[in-house]
Amino acid sequence: MPRCIVLHPADNVATLIDPAGAGEACTLQGERSGHVTALQDIPFGHKVCIAEISRGAEVFKYGQVIGRATRAITIGEHAHVDNLDSARARGDLQR
Amino acid sequence: MKTFEGFRRCTGPAGVRNWIAVISVMDNCNPVTRTIAQSVAGTIPVTTAFVRGQFGEDLEFALDALAGMGRNPNIAGVLLVGLEESSTEVVASRIRPSGKPVEVVHLQPHGTIQCIAEGTRLASRLALQASRQRRESCPVSELVIGVECGGSDTTSGLSCNPVIGRMADRLIDDGGTVIISETSEFIGAEHLFAARAVDASVASAFRAAVAAMEDMAVRRGVNMRDSQPAPDNKRGGLTTVEEKALGAQAKSGTRPLVGVLGYGQAPVRKGLHFMDAPSAAVENLTAFAIGGCQLICFGTGVGNPIGNMIAPTIKVCGNANTLRTMRDNIDVDVSAIFESSARIADLGDDLFDYVAEVGSGTCVTSEVLNVRETVVSRFERSL
Repeated sequence: MPRCIVLHPADNVATLIDPAGAGEACTLQGERSGHVTALQDIPFGHKVCIAEISRGAEVFKYGQVIGRATRAITIGEHAHVDNLDSARARGDLQR
Repeated sequence: MKTFEGFRRCTGPAGVRNWIAVISVMDNCNPVTRTIAQSVAGTIPVTTAFVRGQFGEDLEFALDALAGMGRNPNIAGVLLVGLEESSTEVVASRIRPSGKPVEVVHLQPHGTIQCIAEGTRLASRLALQASRQRRESCPVSELVIGVECGGSDTTSGLSCNPVIGRMADRLIDDGGTVIISETSEFIGAEHLFAARAVDASVASAFRAAVAAMEDMAVRRGVNMRDSQPAPDNKRGGLTTVEEKALGAQAKSGTRPLVGVLGYGQAPVRKGLHFMDAPSAAVENLTAFAIGGCQLICFGTGVGNPIGNMIAPTIKVCGNANTLRTMRDNIDVDVSAIFESSARIADLGDDLFDYVAEVGSGTCVTSEVLNVRETVVSRFERSL
């Protein structure tokens, strides 16, 4: 069963240390226990959502803000460049 | 206190290697530099780019960088390869106070063949002389170690970087010095690091350096996200610079931040320092070598094999896939953190032992395979 690590109780994403296939249950390790079912194929090292995140909300890893959701992210979804964006060094937003 | 077997120098700390550095004063000297270094055992080539056409502060900076590499404790003696005498003399005069021998050869007026002949003769004498020196027991408090990450992925922040951080704590507790850099890779984590500063002026100097980097992107109207994280970082799972920074700062361990250094600046105190320098690996490692680091610990996730020519670069990796495909370029495997619940503290202590071993002569892969490069950063345009 693929493992994913939760680094802080406030985190809403976990980091996979095994690749996960769509529909596979993943074991949570670290600051959370239990399982989350991957809704899609998620590669090794990538993040899976473990708590509902609404559009524009902050995404937490290590108990710190790592960016904002660009659209709503649901539990089990792959969290990466398509739905999570940086809040820093955004020269594009100044235009 | 832990010791290593090092090479004592006339001034400053001991070195972990005893090379003769053949250093180009400008880019047009590189072909001769490489030829001499290939001809003489015990030498390393230190090539550069530009210098000719640089002016003012930018030129001063470039010549200072070359001199800094010449002064590195791992260098027993220097042969400078220059085009003409006056720029060569500037560099030579900044290395000579170290007490190590400095010889010079020039492309002008006799051309490259003569320059190679004379340079080979001088380098061989320097190498023979250096070979008479023996290692002696030295305390690890004389070590200045750069900590770097490259080819990072999400395993970096969970394995190799915190292991390096534990090594950093052990070295600092024994009186040594650690330098962390890669300024843009603190964006998103700077508040955590600034909180460890020994006083307000150190905290504010650090924050100012990171803010200037972020401001540069903003002023240009650029979203940094296409370069930071880089495409291979993203392939490895890192989505934003904040996420990368939170994992990267783990390399610094937990001890207080005592100083902020400019690019290539040598620390004057013991303990943890931050150096403001570009994040790309070759530039960053070069800045460490200029500042006097004898060794570098380099954490990698998806795999970046590059090391520094002057400071042996220890590659640490916790990604089992990378360890399968790129084992030739990795020195320390920390994947046991994921595979068998090995403790970060134990692996960090092992790394500290290994650092002393490499300091005493054990080679690393990037040395043996010569996967080493030098790039001095530019901040201006040439004439």
